[in-house]
Amino acid sequence: MPQQPATRASASGATARLDARTGRDHKAISALADDLLPALVAKLAASGLGEIEIREGAWKARLRKPTGTGRSAARTGAEPYHAPRPAALEHARAEDSRPRREPAEAEAEDAPIMATSPAVGVFQPRKGLEAGMQVRAGERLGTVDVLGVREEVVSPIDGIIGTSLAESGEPVEYGQGLIVIEIPEKSGRVEAGQAEQEAAAVLGEA
Amino acid sequence: MFNKVLIANRGEIALRILRACRTMGVGAVVAYSEADRDSLAAQLADEAICIGPADARRSYLSAPAVISSAIVTGCDAIHPGYGFLSEDEGFAEVVRAHGLTFIGPPPEVLNRFASKEATRRLFEAHGLRTIPGSQMLRDEAHALEEADRIGYPVMIKPAAGGGGKGMRLVRSARELESSLKVSRSEAKAGFGDDSLYLEKYLEETRHVEVQVAVDRHGNAIHLGERDCSVQRRHQKLIEETPSPALSTTARQELCQKAVKAVSKAGYESLGTLEFLVDGKGDAYFIEINCRIQVEHTVTEMVTGLDMVTMQIAIAAGDRLPIRQSDVVPRGHAIQFRILAEDPSTDFRPQAGEILGYLTPGGPGVRMDSHLYPGYEVPSFYDSLLGKLCVWAPDRASAIARGDAALRELLVDGLDTNIELHRAILANQIFVDGKMTTNLLDRVGSAPFVAAGSR
Repeated sequence: MPQQPATRASASGATARLDARTGRDHKAISALADDLLPALVAKLAASGLGEIEIREGAWKARLRKPTGTGRSAARTGAEPYHAPRPAALEHARAEDSRPRREPAEAEAEDAPIMATSPAVGVFQPRKGLEAGMQVRAGERLGTVDVLGVREEVVSPIDGIIGTSLAESGEPVEYGQGLIVIEIPEKSGRVEAGQAEQEAAAVLGEA
Repeated sequence: MFNKVLIANRGEIALRILRACRTMGVGAVVAYSEADRDSLAAQLADEAICIGPADARRSYLSAPAVISSAIVTGCDAIHPGYGFLSEDEGFAEVVRAHGLTFIGPPPEVLNRFASKEATRRLFEAHGLRTIPGSQMLRDEAHALEEADRIGYPVMIKPAAGGGGKGMRLVRSARELESSLKVSRSEAKAGFGDDSLYLEKYLEETRHVEVQVAVDRHGNAIHLGERDCSVQRRHQKLIEETPSPALSTTARQELCQKAVKAVSKAGYESLGTLEFLVDGKGDAYFIEINCRIQVEHTVTEMVTGLDMVTMQIAIAAGDRLPIRQSDVVPRGHAIQFRILAEDPSTDFRPQAGEILGYLTPGGPGVRMDSHLYPGYEVPSFYDSLLGKLCVWAPDRASAIARGDAALRELLVDGLDTNIELHRAILANQIFVDGKMTTNLLDRVGSAPFVAAGSR
């Protein structure tokens, strides 16, 4: 968020500049909200990207694809489950009554790209699938069995099979992360700059 | 009793069912869509599972998603709540085929009551008065003949479905001729079935419904009636019990007839028989709802019973825990449906963040809601934010408590219909207990609000 220029000047010029700036901000915000966001949401859903960030004037918007990390994992079996402390209760107890936002930003920075479950059911990885294998975007990595019907688990991007997050035969929920897909980079890490370039490419298509 | 129940619904009713399971010592898993990840029910549950995306057709309305999630979480029963899959006999059947129990009527019972027209005839045979109506219409000539026999005005109704789709009011033979085709295509498009029938249209009616509970061991009781005459475009807004439309003897008679009819017709589970009551106090059966209803709360307030636990127990094969003589309604209860709709912009549903939320208190006040400050009301589902219920020894005191509670209730961040409720409470026709189902639409909601804030 841009800092409002601190000014003690009472001159009308300063006020006008301030007004103009506020006007620009409002314009930028509504441009983001009305024009870009719906298109971006569609793009993000269709793309293999995990996250898109765009700038409009001094404002930016960041979209992140929901992943199956954290508490979204299906909780079954003997493993004792501890309820996450509800945000609702946090609010009730918090000294600061302002709505608390998820620390999505911090989380998002290092969020891995994953093949996620298309449905609730039982996960079965493809035979012979191993860490280190190269896969293409859209390639079948396994299935989730939903009442006898197999739904395909596919790779969201071109990459290399990383850690498995679910065992063969494990019950999984919709959207749960199943297999980490690594980007074949020299460093093995996605640089912020590259992500931005990809986002820009996506934007360009729009 | 069940080991673990899958709650296949959202909002306040998911929370209500979760509470029932907890008081019974039964495990519960909340099934939620991606849009409901932060919902109160999902957060408070010991177990929760994401079953699909926001689109209800791929989550709450998807039989495979719901049943698969029950299986992978080790549930042995599914509670469908209301709406969504709650009265879908096909779903109930598949649930059973997978070795699970559907909490509601068994599939064959749901099937028997699936057609409104057939249900009407069945209950007529078991002693309930029904609105004069026709057989299924064969063709236009048949329709005109039947309408003449019944007498205009008549309502054209589809045999399947509900929610007013395909329904048309006609006042003459000419109107009937021109409306038949439209109704038929609407019914075909909405329900995949274009069977129509005619029904006599009653001009000024009240909506009164009788709550019944029937177990599979031949025990049947009623839990009194509810009056749901305050409606906007066929959507109930305020419900109360007892109904101001009925005398004590008329109430007794109606409830007894209803319980006798469901018993003879082989119903099982909780159920609601809906009637239209005309100006003379005559009640005509219109349809049965085979689910827990939004307005079950007012019945709980006057009877002191927990109807959701009762529904779960019946589905588990238990006997009814009480007899008719144990049901002793006391006082008067009123429920207000708090909706995210702005009366000043033609009730457009609202979505967005709840910035502030404060619930009323005091004697006889109950709030069933899934709201909390910071909660994002998603735009994908219905506009019900919660239900405010008040109880008092008599109707006048209940109205006073209702108004005090509505003044206290704070829902900040969205437009709601709270002021409309207050305006209705201040209206003389409501105070006199003389609301009819068409009044709000005839007068318009804006004049009500304007008159209320004078």
